[in-house]
Amino acid sequence: MFRKIIHLSIKKPKTVFAICFIVVVLAAFQFPRIKVDTDPENMLSKDEFVRVFDHDVKKEFALYDFIVLGIVNNETERGVFTKDSLNRIFAITEKIKDIEGVITREIIAPSTKDNIRQGGLGVVVFEWLMKSPIETEAEAVFLRDEAMDNPMFKGSMVSDSGKALCLYIPIEKKNISYRVATQIRKIVSDLGSGEKYYITGLPVAEDTFGFEMFKQMAISAPLAGLIIFLLMFFFFRNIRMIIPPMILAVITIIVTMGLLIGFGFPVHIMSSMIPIFLMPIAVLDSVHILSEFFDKYPRYKDKKKTITHVIEELFTPMLFTSLTSAVGFFSLSFSPIPPVQAFGVFVALGIMVAWLLTITFIPAYVSVIKEDSLKDFGHILSEEAAHSGLLDKSLRLIHRFTLKHFKAIIGFSGLLIVISIYGISHIQVNDNPVKWFNKNHEIRIADKILNEHFAGTYTAYLVIKNQSKTEEIFKEPKMLAFIEGLENYLIEKGNVGKITSLADVVKKVHYELFDGDKTYNIIPETKKAVSQCLISYENSHKPDDLWHMVTPDYSKLNVWLQLKSGDNKDTDKVLRQVDAYFSANPPPYKVDYNWAGLTYINVVWQNKMVKGMLVNFLGSFFIVFFMMTFLFRSPLRGLISMVPLTLTILFIYGLLGFIGKDYDMPVAVLSALTLGLSIDFAIHFIQRAREIYDTSPNWPKTSEEMFKGPARAITRNAFVVAIGFLPLLAAPLVPYRTVGFFMFTIMLVSSIATLFILPALITAFPQAIFGKEEKKMVCNCKYCVIISFVVSLSIVYLSRSYTEYGLGITSLVAVLVVTIASGICSKIAKHKFCLVEKKET
Amino acid sequence: MKRFSIVLAGFFLLISFEFAYSEESVEQIVDKANKAAYYQGTGGKAKVEMTITDSQGRIRKRVFKILRLDLADGGQQKFYVYFSEPADVEDMTYLVWKHLGRDDDRWLYLPALDLLRRIAASDNRSSFVGSTFVYEDISGRALDQDEHQLISSEGETYLVKNTPISKDSVEFSYYNVYIDKNSYLPIRAEYFNKQGKLSRIVEALETGDVQGYPTVKKSKASDLENGSNTVTEFSEIQYDLGLDESIFTERYLKRPPRKWLD
Repeated sequence: MFRKIIHLSIKKPKTVFAICFIVVVLAAFQFPRIKVDTDPENMLSKDEFVRVFDHDVKKEFALYDFIVLGIVNNETERGVFTKDSLNRIFAITEKIKDIEGVITREIIAPSTKDNIRQGGLGVVVFEWLMKSPIETEAEAVFLRDEAMDNPMFKGSMVSDSGKALCLYIPIEKKNISYRVATQIRKIVSDLGSGEKYYITGLPVAEDTFGFEMFKQMAISAPLAGLIIFLLMFFFFRNIRMIIPPMILAVITIIVTMGLLIGFGFPVHIMSSMIPIFLMPIAVLDSVHILSEFFDKYPRYKDKKKTITHVIEELFTPMLFTSLTSAVGFFSLSFSPIPPVQAFGVFVALGIMVAWLLTITFIPAYVSVIKEDSLKDFGHILSEEAAHSGLLDKSLRLIHRFTLKHFKAIIGFSGLLIVISIYGISHIQVNDNPVKWFNKNHEIRIADKILNEHFAGTYTAYLVIKNQSKTEEIFKEPKMLAFIEGLENYLIEKGNVGKITSLADVVKKVHYELFDGDKTYNIIPETKKAVSQCLISYENSHKPDDLWHMVTPDYSKLNVWLQLKSGDNKDTDKVLRQVDAYFSANPPPYKVDYNWAGLTYINVVWQNKMVKGMLVNFLGSFFIVFFMMTFLFRSPLRGLISMVPLTLTILFIYGLLGFIGKDYDMPVAVLSALTLGLSIDFAIHFIQRAREIYDTSPNWPKTSEEMFKGPARAITRNAFVVAIGFLPLLAAPLVPYRTVGFFMFTIMLVSSIATLFILPALITAFPQAIFGKEEKKMVCNCKYCVIISFVVSLSIVYLSRSYTEYGLGITSLVAVLVVTIASGICSKIAKHKFCLVEKKET
Repeated sequence: MKRFSIVLAGFFLLISFEFAYSEESVEQIVDKANKAAYYQGTGGKAKVEMTITDSQGRIRKRVFKILRLDLADGGQQKFYVYFSEPADVEDMTYLVWKHLGRDDDRWLYLPALDLLRRIAASDNRSSFVGSTFVYEDISGRALDQDEHQLISSEGETYLVKNTPISKDSVEFSYYNVYIDKNSYLPIRAEYFNKQGKLSRIVEALETGDVQGYPTVKKSKASDLENGSNTVTEFSEIQYDLGLDESIFTERYLKRPPRKWLD
């Protein structure tokens, strides 16, 4: 059927072009409906417990995501605590209040916070920390000392050194942070002078990343396209022959993105990477075709015959390389993360679109170009042969090397595997959205400087809930003492910079009531005394500040933790410390506790992602193996074809372990790409080798032939894609560099692995690849068992993704299936029809 | 010109109705309204129940008794507040000497800590025990702190716009008060924030006669910015009790005058 399509495409190119045109126009019409979503929180589905809980906590305690504006002055002795600086900060705060989307009443700034202080003997004063612009330097010093004496402010609003200030600007929604931050920058550049202003915080980092990512997308994908174009021109020297792959790539991208948008999926951080993933994959097949076309044309001197021949020859490997890549990506649809699912499905779809175009659009295009323009092709070939002498020479070298030193290659590969596994054991799973920016990005700089001065710009909320029958337990001195103990424990452990809770408020009010005497900086002895401290606090200008820390019925407590690092591994440590404290120190009342806040959400989806990706990866690994077994009609050949891919993956991840690059979101997603792309070369190599061997059954000769055409196509492909993605290494966003690094390494390593290991393995065991095949694979008992094993693993993998079952039950079922299948296999192998077949062969 | 705030307090002046209000100056209007809201009689007592409801519908209660003695009509006053609920602040007492022209004196007694403290505030805009009412709502805002402007006298009410003279000392830019032409009770006050948006409303929900004095029996303060409100109900209202000035001293904070509080 596909052959018919190919022939039809050659016969009626205009129809093909018309259909392509209509489809592209239809797809392009979807673009205005684009919905952009840059919120990493959407990595978790909306009804995910941690998101629902976080949402409820924010509502219940009136908390908001905030932008952190740090103000530092290293030039003066008192830092920003000078009259002029403070007055400027006052004016800036007033301006910030006017920004739309800012929760004015919850801004944390000197001019928006109430302070409790001593007003002479026996007098307690409640007043704004900075009510109005100040007139003397003495007032600035006084303000600093008051802020430093207030546990609510020290370490959070005022730096521990007493020289820098930090404003916390709450916003209605996270996805306005970039806009608000831009407006704040404008205000600061208008009004600030002398001091340095830094903006950071997870919401800004995430939203800014989203913004810059789309910008980067607009640069990276076309740039990669351009370089691929130039490289192809370098190899083929015929502009007409390299235009179709480019058009093909563009059509693929437009159609895929059009479908994504048309189906109503938002373009998320992940899906914005679809074009950049499709670009190399879409070009790959056409490069194979063109490379072959280029080699064969001089022989046929007829474009239609040449293209028909080339496509028929390449049909199976192309179908399988596309299918395997598609499977690699489609496996992402089993991940528990919605944007990753959409990404996986649509890249898989795009790959199949590209494949369809390769067998229709390319022949159609070839059939309309004038034969005249190909005249020079043969001529170019000879010239090209001289030009690419280096490439051919190297390939010949490899050819001889693999025949002679196959043992060394196999040995070296084995060593590499061992080293890589060692490297993999050192991989660190960690992510931090702030680190998605380069070190010299303003957000990274702000993050570094502010976390040096302050107790931490990363926020986590520990919510403790009463589960006992006693009411208002968070007024009980015992309970507050427990919280105080928890705070001290965590601070001592060193991962938390500062903790603010109701216990701190009670202690502060308590000692201020007792003439500011610090010996009263303790939790009072009775519940009534605690209550009366709290009601005194409620006489301030901002009594509602209390309800950020406890619910009015005193049944839930919210402890605000400030972390200096947004690394998930550091947050994870804090989570474990809290667990340890709770189990070592039973709380006086029965409580349960849970976490909220962006840093925690990031940890949750990271864990899901990493685990999910590992399961997906193993699953798709088996599915690809299964496909290879069918393609090559032998599990052994299938297994051999998996060798270069396995080595590539082990090598890349081992390298990550050695260079200390964190296993983060982009890396996790790229594992799917690795799988899909690395297998391609092996498929082409083995398939072609078998075809050549069929005509002349002699391995050294076959090898010689292999290292001409097919190896050249592989090398060209590897070069085109690897170099095409090198510019990404200079991108200002780290995930883009990661993509660039991966593309480059995948191409390089998998092409080298294919060209060295496969010939070496064939030299060692020629029968494994060229051996006579059974008519029916099931007739070989060993094969049959392997197949049933792989099938059951695939089933386990698929069912696991769709059900709640853990590995426990399903794996048990799998073992059972394999056992039964093995029995059936040995029966079948002894069956009559197999015996008959064997006799025939 | 002047200004005043609405009303929480439950003590009022007898108003003579023979005034032809149409010819009154804005000064006269706000002066009468101030006296109607805060100076009815020579003093008195009331039981006050506050119900604080936040934006999430969560409710907190405050129950206290308040005693008032006027030293001069429209001038110096003394308040004594005794809390009975919530239970863990029972016996907490609070004393205010209201002055004109200078900061009020305030004292707070916390029985659980056996602690008597003077409370100072740079302004009277801080919360009254965590409610949506601020101190000024309870004790009245001095008329000379604002400029007053009669915006309208149509219908049953006067509308007076009040702009603070010292802008830095308050969180609002101005506020409008609707004054009932018959009783001179301020019925509604609307506060506009520095961005010019309506941010806070204090209103009388129920008024009536007590011993011949027009009296607010139920009032409500709403904070439009954080979505909370407080409803205050006055009961056991009595005027002209002949309270002894000695009650309004620090000594009585520790020993509440039961006679007047039961």
